[in-house]
Amino acid sequence: MTNALTLTDVNVTIKGSHILQGVNFEIEAGVVTGLLGRNGVGKSTTLRSIVGLVPRVGSINLFGEEISGLRTHEVIRAGVAFVPEDREIFASLTVAENLKLAERDKNPDYDTVHQLFPELLQRKNQRAGTLSGGQQQMVAVARALLNKTRLLLVDEPTKGLAPKLVTEVAAALEIAAQATTILLVEQNLPLVKRVAKNIIVMDQGVVVHNGTPAELADADFAKRMLGVSGGSH
Amino acid sequence: MEIFITLFITGVGLGALYFLVASGLSLIYGLMGVLNFAHGAFLTAGAYAAWYFTTEVRADGSLTSYAISLVLSGLVGAIFAVATEQLLIKHLYDRHIDQALVTVGLGLVAVSAYLGWFGSDPLIALPPTQLYDVVQIGDAFVGIDRFLYITVAGLVLLANFLMLRYTRIGLVIRAGVENRAMVTALGIDVRKAFTFVFFIGGFAAGLGGALATTYASGVGPTLGDAFLIYAFITVVIGGMGSIPGTAIAAVIVGTTQVLVNYYVQGLGDFVVVLLLAVVLLTRPQGLLGKVAH
Amino acid sequence: MILLPSKYRFVPLIFMLIAGFGAFTPLIDEPGLQQTFAVAFLFGGLALTYDLLLGFTGLLSFGHALFYAAGAYGAAFAMARWDWGIIPAGIFALFFAFLVALFTGTAALRVKGIAFAMVTLAFAEAGHVIVTLNLWGLSEGDKTLQLNFDSVPDFFLGVANTRNLYLLALITLAIIYLAVWWLTQSSVGRVWQALRENEERVSVLGLRPFSFKLIAFVLAGVMAAFVGVVAVVVTNNANPVMASTQTTISLLLMVILGGIATRWGAVIGGLIYVVLSQRLTTLDTQGALAGLPEWIGGPMSEPAFILGVIFILVVMFSPGGIAGALYRLRLKIASFK
Repeated sequence: MTNALTLTDVNVTIKGSHILQGVNFEIEAGVVTGLLGRNGVGKSTTLRSIVGLVPRVGSINLFGEEISGLRTHEVIRAGVAFVPEDREIFASLTVAENLKLAERDKNPDYDTVHQLFPELLQRKNQRAGTLSGGQQQMVAVARALLNKTRLLLVDEPTKGLAPKLVTEVAAALEIAAQATTILLVEQNLPLVKRVAKNIIVMDQGVVVHNGTPAELADADFAKRMLGVSGGSH
Repeated sequence: MEIFITLFITGVGLGALYFLVASGLSLIYGLMGVLNFAHGAFLTAGAYAAWYFTTEVRADGSLTSYAISLVLSGLVGAIFAVATEQLLIKHLYDRHIDQALVTVGLGLVAVSAYLGWFGSDPLIALPPTQLYDVVQIGDAFVGIDRFLYITVAGLVLLANFLMLRYTRIGLVIRAGVENRAMVTALGIDVRKAFTFVFFIGGFAAGLGGALATTYASGVGPTLGDAFLIYAFITVVIGGMGSIPGTAIAAVIVGTTQVLVNYYVQGLGDFVVVLLLAVVLLTRPQGLLGKVAH
Repeated sequence: MILLPSKYRFVPLIFMLIAGFGAFTPLIDEPGLQQTFAVAFLFGGLALTYDLLLGFTGLLSFGHALFYAAGAYGAAFAMARWDWGIIPAGIFALFFAFLVALFTGTAALRVKGIAFAMVTLAFAEAGHVIVTLNLWGLSEGDKTLQLNFDSVPDFFLGVANTRNLYLLALITLAIIYLAVWWLTQSSVGRVWQALRENEERVSVLGLRPFSFKLIAFVLAGVMAAFVGVVAVVVTNNANPVMASTQTTISLLLMVILGGIATRWGAVIGGLIYVVLSQRLTTLDTQGALAGLPEWIGGPMSEPAFILGVIFILVVMFSPGGIAGALYRLRLKIASFK
C-alpha cells in the first residue's frame, strides 16, 4: 500500500494556543479516509495545516514529496484541493467567476461539474452570496473537482445541509474518489461508513485511533471516541 | 446659484484628486490589509517629476508636454510604489502593524529627502495657459482645470472598473479583498496581485501628484501628506476595498469641504471629519464596504 | 512582555533620581542643555502615555497629539484669556482633555485595528484644523499661544531658573512613570494586556472589551494632557505643532525605537529621539556632511531622515527596539555562562 500523505509530529500554535500537539498519521492512496473527533479537537486545523493556511511545524509528506515548507498556493499546485468548512465561496462573485478563479488545468473538467451539479450551470451568472447553503456547498465542491488532484481535503461538506443534499454531496464524493485520494472530515457517521475505507480519530490535538469504519457500528466505541451515541445519526 | 455651481464643480475636482490617491489606498488595504502611510510620498514624487519635466526638460508650456508629464509622474509614482512593496512590505508578510509602521517611516524619510533635495519652499510649476481658461455654465464660470481632474479621475475609475471586471488579475483582486486565504487555497499566488495593486495605486497617486501641482500651483515636500489625510477619510467613508464606494465618498468629501469652507473659512475641513464620525457611528464598514471577517 | 526582570524595576527611578541631582553638578549646568533635557523628559513621559495605548492595550492611535495639545492649549487659554493661575488652569485643561478623550474614544473605538488608527488620525486632524485656523478664536492660529507669565510662580520664569524647569519636567516624567507602572500592574492593566493578546478570550470572560479600551484611551489622553500643561510652562507657549499628526508619529517612533510595552523603553526612546534630533541638526553646521555629494548630504542634514531610516531598520530587523535588542543580548550572555 502506498501512502498519499504522511504527517509526522505536526504542531500548530495559534495566538498562544497549542492546537495541534504532534499529529501523526498516514493516508492510503486511492481511497477515502475519514477524519473524526469531537468539535474543537483540531480536525479543521489539521486540514488547514496541510495546505499551509496556518503556521505549522513538523513533516508533511505528499506522495514522497515534503510539502511542509511550501506556501499555500504551492501546496495546491502540487496537486491538492481543499474544500473548507463553511464553504468560503466568494459571495460578491458570480458562480461562473467562482469557478473560473479555481481553474488551474488547461482543460478544466466542467463536464463532471455540470453533470453532478446541473443547477450551477443554470445559475452561473448569479452572485454566489445569494445562493442557498446547499448550492454554495456545490460551488465549493465544484471548485475542487475542476482540476486533476492527487489529494482532496474536504471539511464537513454536509454541515447544515438537508438530507437530500447530503445524498448529492455523497454522490459527488464517491465520483471524485474514483480518481483521487480523499481525506474527509465529517460528523455524519452514516456518510463516513458509506464512503470511507479507513478512519482516523483525533482528540485534544493528537491522533488517538486508526481503524476502519466498521468500528463505528460499536456504540461504545463511538461514544468513547466521538462523544456521540450509537452508530446511527 | 452661480457661486454654488462654481464651488460644486471645484469640489468635485478636488474630490477627483482625492479619488486618485484614495483608490490605491483602498485597494491596497482591501487586498493586503496594509494601511499605506507612504502613499502621500508617492504623490509627491509624481508631483516633483511633473514639475521637473515641465520646467527643466520641456518648458515650452505646451499641452503635449503637460500630457507627457502626467504619464511620467504616474510611472514615477508606480515605480516608487513597487519598490516599496518589494523592498519593505513583502518582507513583513502578515505583520500588518509593522507594515503600516514601515510605511510611516518611509513617509518620514521621503519628506526629509524632498526637503533636502528641493528645499521647503514650494516649487512653482506653471501649467499650459489653456488650463487657466474658464468655461461658462449658465451664469457661472468654472476653471477648465477642474474638468481635467474630473476627466482623469473618471478615466482611472473606468480603467479600474474594466480591470476588476474583465481581467484575471481583477478577478483575483476582487476575490482577495473578500477572502485572501481562500484565494491562495485555490492555488493562486496572491502576492503577484499585491505587487500589481501597488503598481496601479502608485500610478494613480503619481498622476494625482501632477494634477495636484496644477491645483496648488506648485509642489512642496508635504504636498502628498496634505492630500493623504483626506484620502484616508475618503477611503473609510467609502468602505475599504470598494472602488465605487471610494469614488462616491471622494465626491462627497471634496464638495463638502469646498462648499463649507466658502461659507465659513476653515470649517469645511472640520465638517469632513465630523462626517467621517457620523458615517462610522451609523455604518462602521463605510458606504459600500463589506463587513470585515 | 515585561523584559526588565522585576528585581531591576527600580532602576529607571534611580536613574531619574541621579538625573535630578545631575542638574546641580557642573555636568548639566548650562541652561541650553537643561532646556534640551527638560523637553526630552517631557517627550519621554508623553511617549510612555502613548505606549500605554500601543504597547499595553494594543491600540494603534494616530491621534494622541490631540490630547497633548488639548492639555497645552486648555491651560494656556485659561491663563491667557481668563487670567487663571496655573493650578486651576491645569485642572481645567485636564478636565477638558478628559471630555475630548471620552467623546473621541467612544466614537473611534466602535471600529478596530487600522480603521481605528484612521479615525483617531481624523479626530486629531480636526483638532489641528481648529488650532491652525484659529476657529472660534480659540488659539492664535499659526502663531503660538504665549504663556501668561502672571499665572506661574516666578521660580519657573527666566533663563536663570531653567534648572527648575528641568526638575519640573523630570518630576512630571517620574509621576507618569509611576502612574503607568501602577496602572499596568493593576487588575485593569492585566485586562488591557489580555485584550492586546486576544480580545475574544476577554469577551468570553464576560468583560466588555470596549469599556476597558475606553478606560485606557481616556487615561492615556488625560496623562498626555498633563504633559501638555507642563510643556506650556517649560516652553512658554502652546503651538500648532503640538496638535499635528507629526507629533503623534514621532511618539510612535520613540516607542518603537525604545521598545514597545516595556515602560522604560518608551522613556529611553523619547530621550534619544529628542536629543538626537537636536544634535543631528548640528551635524550639518559642524561640517560633518561636507564631503558628501549633495544628493545624499541634503537629506542627511534633516534629522527626520536619519531617524526615519533607523526606525525602518528597527521595525524590519529588531522587533522590540532597544529593549528587545538588550533582552536578546542578555539571553545570549546567559547562554554563554
